Amino acid sequence: MPSYSSDRRSVLKIFGAIGATCAYPFASDELFGQTAPPHHHPAVQSTAAEHFLNDTDFKTISRIADLIIPETDTPGAIGAGVPDYIDMVISRNLDHQTIVADGLRWLDAEARRTNEKPFMELDEHQQVGILEPLCEAADANPANPARTVGFFALLKSLTADGYYTSKIGLIDELGYSGNAARESYPVCSDMKHG
Amino acid sequence: MEQKIYDVVVVGSGAGGGTLSSRLAQLGADVLVLEGGPKVNTRTDFNTHALPFEFPSRHIPIMKPGKPGYDAERSRGLGGKTMLWNAVALRFSQRDFKGRQHDGAGEDWPFDYSEIAPYYDRVERQVGVCGNLDHLKDLPDGVFLPPVPLKCTDIAIQKGAAKLGVKVIQVRKATLTRARETRPACHFCGNCMSGCDVAAKYNSLDAHMVPALKTGKLTLQQNSIVYELPVSDEAKIKEVRYFDRETRAEGVARGRVVVVACACAQSVALLLMSKSSRFPNGLANSSGELGKNFIPHITAGIELFLKDFIGKPEVNDEGFLDHAYIPSFMHDRKRDYPRSFGVQFNYQNHRSAGWARSMKGMGKSYKESIKARYPAYVTFTGYHEMLPNKDSYIDLDTETLDAYGLPRPRRHWKLADDDWRLHNDMIRWCRAILEASNAEIHSSTPQPATNHEVGGCRMGTDPKRSVVNEFCRAHDVPNLYVVDASVFPSSSEKNPTLTIMALAERTADHIAQRLKKGEA
Repeated sequence: MPSYSSDRRSVLKIFGAIGATCAYPFASDELFGQTAPPHHHPAVQSTAAEHFLNDTDFKTISRIADLIIPETDTPGAIGAGVPDYIDMVISRNLDHQTIVADGLRWLDAEARRTNEKPFMELDEHQQVGILEPLCEAADANPANPARTVGFFALLKSLTADGYYTSKIGLIDELGYSGNAARESYPVCSDMKHG
Repeated sequence: MEQKIYDVVVVGSGAGGGTLSSRLAQLGADVLVLEGGPKVNTRTDFNTHALPFEFPSRHIPIMKPGKPGYDAERSRGLGGKTMLWNAVALRFSQRDFKGRQHDGAGEDWPFDYSEIAPYYDRVERQVGVCGNLDHLKDLPDGVFLPPVPLKCTDIAIQKGAAKLGVKVIQVRKATLTRARETRPACHFCGNCMSGCDVAAKYNSLDAHMVPALKTGKLTLQQNSIVYELPVSDEAKIKEVRYFDRETRAEGVARGRVVVVACACAQSVALLLMSKSSRFPNGLANSSGELGKNFIPHITAGIELFLKDFIGKPEVNDEGFLDHAYIPSFMHDRKRDYPRSFGVQFNYQNHRSAGWARSMKGMGKSYKESIKARYPAYVTFTGYHEMLPNKDSYIDLDTETLDAYGLPRPRRHWKLADDDWRLHNDMIRWCRAILEASNAEIHSSTPQPATNHEVGGCRMGTDPKRSVVNEFCRAHDVPNLYVVDASVFPSSSEKNPTLTIMALAERTADHIAQRLKKGEA
């Protein structure tokens, strides 16, 4: 049974991040990288030389992110710098580090089992063939306890967060045009929803 | 040197403390405001116009680098929660003040709507509230600035709700739609809850205290965390004890009258911490009611996509967050529970798309489905009243102290059967309205959540059943007042801030009269 006593510690990170304001249910959407207190760590400058993950793991993570959000008429996850964001979040979170290390180990084992090659040497069709069942399992049950599913769900969350908060994702892909001063708010008939 | 004795010492500078202290200063009283948080400059300190990719963590910090404020529960900075609120400003109705008379449960306020209506008028004139004259019995009209047009997505829901006989109105907010002397009109950048750097949105510092400072009667002292209010033999507050937030140096302030306005749970905590031989269970707590009757608003939220907008081009419709509101309608319909609910919706801003995480699939189709739904995304959250019950209260956590070594307030709440019936009916109605609006539901909050803390220091006429009287004055301590939502005997389903401000105006007038008569 859920307890309805407010556990201050569990809400602390949200309060800390949104300033103990009116806690709208979906305000937490903005709390990217929320699993670590953002102010207690120096900002990670993402240059290739300073990745937390080793080169092999970073490349694999990058590949998975780009399969989740590929290049279309706008760049995909790699083009938007999402792997750097994922690396930064993982570097700050011990749980994520364990999940990712286990997940990457499993991924290569699975690739060798099914196609007798490491994951990065498979073609796109084969790579998607390994990831898609995990994606479907996570979609069907976001709380799926399987560690492999949790690994994929984590990478998908981080990829989505990183991509749609990037300039490429938010502005070029989604077309965000707010944050502009306007004299008055237009009536609906003057707005263009196509 | 003899320490200055102020007419009034106010603890807290938010909607309650800011409004009350300004009114008292304008009336000529010598007022000291002690605020636990640091000084904030609204024009320069907030990241109002930032976008997520400017930060490595992609989280937009409230404050700019090196600017303190809003970093802990006990130190929010001058202006309190009004700096980061969404500014929804609704009057309570006669039904809200007399809920027990209306449906036989809960607690009545000790006065009628007509008693507080002039104070609502005054607050609205001072701060500027935009809204439409809707002529609704249960949501009294006020003194309004012009309302802001509905978004296209609001109109879709307005049409859907109308099919069920439910009315969607233009939201009422304490945000300027016409410029004032020192505050410009809203420019609709869409980030109201991250601090409004032009103060078009009401905050108690810019709208109330800055003008009052010109009287020379108001003193603001920030970084002063009040931890105890000791009483004299005559059961009056002797002094206000505080320490400096940065240096921890202790200090005292003296006033003929002391007003506690620290925002509900913090006010209750301060009184609970102020134990003495006379009040062993907390200050002004001879009734044993202090901390009890905690009645926060209960919410259920839904994320959805309006199908008519899926695949349409994105437009800048951020506005000032939500432009619409669904006022209570169940109070006039047949139902099997007391009280009612209202709905706030379309309050998201578009600076991020956190819902993309939980969209199904991967690859090109996943990316396309997110782009298509971005213009169609809407949040929808019902708010309902809960009635007091013995399992819902505030107490002190004396084991895990905060960064200042003080016990933390702990909120306990539990819905009773009536509350659950109301909650479930609210969710049914929300889903019915959305279905009628041709919505695709994306997610729902899994269980009830709280918002808008109310209660814990109940107002009433009977000193055995309440902590403060109808003027927010403690029954037990003649020079102690509490002015925030902790004193509300019932919460309504309407956002509390405008009522806190009206109460603060009324209490300020009352205190000024007592000071004038030499009663305090």
